[in-house]
Amino acid sequence: MSGSLADRQAALVATLVAGAPLPPGFDDRLVGVARSALLRKRAREVARHWPLLAAGLGDRWLSVFAGWAAARPTRGALRDGWDLARQLAAEGDLPALAAEELAAREAGWRYDGTTAPRRRRLPAVRRAGGSWVFQVAGRIWTLPPHRR
Amino acid sequence: MTEATGTTYGVGIGWRPEIAGFVAALPGLRFAEVIAESLAPGNPLPPALAALRERQVAVVPHGTRLSLGGAEPVDPARVRHFAQVTELLGAPLASEHIAFVRAGGMEAGHLLPLPRTREAVDAMVANVNRVQAELAVPLALEPIAAIFDWPDDELDEAQFITEILDRTGALLLLDVANVYANARNRGTDPVALLDRLPLERIGYVHVAGGATRDGIYHDTHTDPVPDAVLDLVTELCARHRPPAVLLERDGHYPPAAALRGELDAIAEASGFPLIT
Repeated sequence: MSGSLADRQAALVATLVAGAPLPPGFDDRLVGVARSALLRKRAREVARHWPLLAAGLGDRWLSVFAGWAAARPTRGALRDGWDLARQLAAEGDLPALAAEELAAREAGWRYDGTTAPRRRRLPAVRRAGGSWVFQVAGRIWTLPPHRR
Repeated sequence: MTEATGTTYGVGIGWRPEIAGFVAALPGLRFAEVIAESLAPGNPLPPALAALRERQVAVVPHGTRLSLGGAEPVDPARVRHFAQVTELLGAPLASEHIAFVRAGGMEAGHLLPLPRTREAVDAMVANVNRVQAELAVPLALEPIAAIFDWPDDELDEAQFITEILDRTGALLLLDVANVYANARNRGTDPVALLDRLPLERIGYVHVAGGATRDGIYHDTHTDPVPDAVLDLVTELCARHRPPAVLLERDGHYPPAAALRGELDAIAEASGFPLIT
């Protein structure tokens, strides 16, 4: 395979995380196995930041995440989950549990989709389906309150 | 038996917040490891790690995102962070990987193998030198498990690793689970690789579990340690007793009794005292 080390490494990463074609000489099956393993690892990390998104999708979590993430290089687990949740919300496919989680995050953090999320310093309110989410000084309240 | 680091520690475990209580309760523990990127050197150590240090347990920072095998020079900010964490821990050594994790402005999200070329050796050596310039203690390098190989390799695995170690003077972090995974997936003999590595340069050893999926063995760190890996620990220790043999477990934590059982099995396989 020709090219500098930098070029060769970039081509490999691109095929693994950005949907670029397989560079010449690599075993297609084995690189595919590596791609899947990377997506599963990434899904686990996103689920740690967005547990209700993952739980809300249940058995579909991995396939939904992998389908969304396969050609999108990671922006970090927080942003990955945020971008996915917003897209699902826009498509009307976000489970209710995940919608509340997203609303709580949106109430507490400012995220423009391009730069790193930042904590809001002022109180904020968001709506999620039938609930209201309030953020004051970093604490979150939901109305109606969840049954215990 | 004194080794490259001058001390024998025995069986150790990778410290993780989820098992902090378990690690704290290991009566014979003398050696642990923490992911370097999980610590903020500007802050005091997390109480659980400070408590280990109070007990004179050695805690080694294990870097995962410096990308020393990358063609680009390692980010000076990452090197600084790594050196500061090493000092904060008072660690006798630090460790990273013979691998890269980013290229072309994209994060791979995992450790990727290097092509075994002289150009890659040069890149690795240059970056290791940059790190060693800021560390006051030795650096150990860990060869990784690779699901695929690059085409057109110039060197075999033993030659590649040995050349990097020779040119940098770094220690070897021998991950026996990685040796097993690579041999199993390539259809080669793991013991044959052990016989060609500079075992006297071992700083410490990793042991971890894995699982087979679609005919490929994955070094997951979230499964039990297979008997075949324990056997390889025994083969290694018959040839050369390392300073420490450390269990890496990153998730799907089993009940404490099962984790103690794994540590006992590693002690038995390596001929070290029980730490449980």
